[in-house]
Amino acid sequence: MADKPGQLLRASDKLTYLLTLVPYLIAQNRVSVTDAAEHFQVEPQQIRDWVKLIAISGIPGDTGQYLPDDLFDIVWDDFENNDQIVLTHRVAIEYTPKFSGKEAAALIAGLQYLSALPEQSDREAVASLMAKLTRGTSQTPSEVAVADTVHERDVPLIGDAVKRGLQIEFDYLSARGEHERRIVDPLRIDSTDNSWYLRAWCHLRESVRTFRLDRMSDVQLRDAPITRHAGEVVLPETLFDGSDEDVNVLLELPSTALSLIADFAPEPVGEADADGLVHVTIRAAGFHGLKRLVAGLSGVVRVVAPDEARTVVAEWASAGAAAYEGV
Amino acid sequence: MTTPAKKPPPPVEERLFSLVLALVATRIGLTKNEILQTVQGYSQRYVHSGDNENLERQFERDKDELRDLGVPLEVVDDHTGNNHDARYRISKDDYELPAGITFTPDEMTLLSLAAMVWKEGSLSADSRRAITKLRSLDLHPDEPIIGYAPQLRVRDSAFEPLQRAMDRYQVVSFDYVKPGATAPGRRTVEPLALVQHDGRWLLNGNDLEAGARRTFLLSRIVSPVRATGKSFPAPGSGHADRTIEELDALLRSNSAELRVTPGSDAQLRLSRRAEGTTADAESITVNYTDLALLADELAGYGPEVQVVAPDELQRAVRDRLLLVAEAHAEPGRPADLRGGATDG
Repeated sequence: MADKPGQLLRASDKLTYLLTLVPYLIAQNRVSVTDAAEHFQVEPQQIRDWVKLIAISGIPGDTGQYLPDDLFDIVWDDFENNDQIVLTHRVAIEYTPKFSGKEAAALIAGLQYLSALPEQSDREAVASLMAKLTRGTSQTPSEVAVADTVHERDVPLIGDAVKRGLQIEFDYLSARGEHERRIVDPLRIDSTDNSWYLRAWCHLRESVRTFRLDRMSDVQLRDAPITRHAGEVVLPETLFDGSDEDVNVLLELPSTALSLIADFAPEPVGEADADGLVHVTIRAAGFHGLKRLVAGLSGVVRVVAPDEARTVVAEWASAGAAAYEGV
Repeated sequence: MTTPAKKPPPPVEERLFSLVLALVATRIGLTKNEILQTVQGYSQRYVHSGDNENLERQFERDKDELRDLGVPLEVVDDHTGNNHDARYRISKDDYELPAGITFTPDEMTLLSLAAMVWKEGSLSADSRRAITKLRSLDLHPDEPIIGYAPQLRVRDSAFEPLQRAMDRYQVVSFDYVKPGATAPGRRTVEPLALVQHDGRWLLNGNDLEAGARRTFLLSRIVSPVRATGKSFPAPGSGHADRTIEELDALLRSNSAELRVTPGSDAQLRLSRRAEGTTADAESITVNYTDLALLADELAGYGPEVQVVAPDELQRAVRDRLLLVAEAHAEPGRPADLRGGATDG
């Protein structure tokens, strides 16, 4: 049973809202539907529906009949005429539920990952927060953890530049294998697992560009304010900047290995054959990156077309192997 | 079988909500029959002196759902051994967040960011629910930490079934391709921990055939993860932290000596991983946890990197490159290994 995709709230999510809305309403005394919706970041109508449901819910009581005293109650006039919620009678629950083992694990693993950020270098504060989460959990947290293996030395410097709104410059080895000195307005540091990226306004290209931190060197803070701000430019959703010079490359690989090239947004061509092999096309910024990708997936991925790409890969691998001759 | 045409059944969340309220309110607990007869959402469908098998199954599923959500459902047995006499309740102390647990605005900011790290999958749903709970404490996050968009991915389809099995102490089986091997082998495992190390998700667990604890790369699990129907005793805690410590120790104990071409991708990117190495060093030493994985990575650099030691890594990289060259040679023509071709 897979999670339903999209924004649809599942019954379990709705139950969580109901169980957390009650203590919130108790603490608020009186709150407008609008404010509650904003607080929980849901649609106002959603809050109205839940409040109505809470107001007619309760416990079977001694009689098993759900008598009025066994039910929650609200000031209905205020609710229906003024969109205001005032809880006047409550039953059974009054405080926030504890976290589940999986909920606590998701937050704890997230915190472990964040400890790579220079802002979170206060290990003791993070450790005490994790301990607090564990105490507030009804089950043992799931055994999920993220190792702190990020060693991007430039994160603090770039993070500082983003915060102070200062330009930076650095040597960049592009995905095409070209070395260039770049001057940029740093806007945001993105990370995906152990890969770190800078989203920045590039003065050379005059557009928003994504730079891999492990392709940058000699990073310097410039004594000049940024010219574009994160608010005025659109940061593309995707981390990879396409270009008109990109080439389409046809690859063959087992369908079970597709996740290995997911970063390159492979487009399937036809169905898998009897051996489970599929053909996909990817967009490649020249062959500089492609030959590295394919050589790193030995025995898995094969370039089918264009022929030039196939030759480049063959020569790249042969040259690499030649270095070991006679060893 | 027909259900009596009373009212349409209320939405699922209403039934679950009523169940939680009823079980928190009761001191001595409610039997299954009492629940089905009186609690909103069940009572409408209850058939007096009739067949309630469907409703009973519904209750079993609801119990699982509540436990999955962390609602501490207790079974108070009256020792008659009769399942029908078991009483269910939710202890308020186990259910509610202790009054002493509060979070500062700074902590709330950090927790919101930690939740945002998960963009997809079940961990994302879990962290959203946790944040909803925190919101009921009337906490407003402080200024968001601007300038960062950190993200953890769970691309491996094995992750969710493994976590589910791990949380329920269920033995699983799957087909696994060992790094460096090509053919998969069946593994039967008691899952103990899921960790991300160096950007990769790994499973640690007891491999029942090997009779030992083993660590598996999720990306190399090539079949669906199947529950075997067997379970194992609760294994205690600390497995995730221990697994990371073991991987760290492994990383420190394995090192490779490499020669890299000046100004190349290999030099720039590999030198960052080598402690105490300058960016322009031509001879660098990197640590690794898995020789086959490092060999894959190094093969990608082609002639830009040459393995000096260990020999096993040298052979692994050369074999990979020969395989790639062969797979990409002209049809009908063997790879020309003496071409000495350079970057195209």
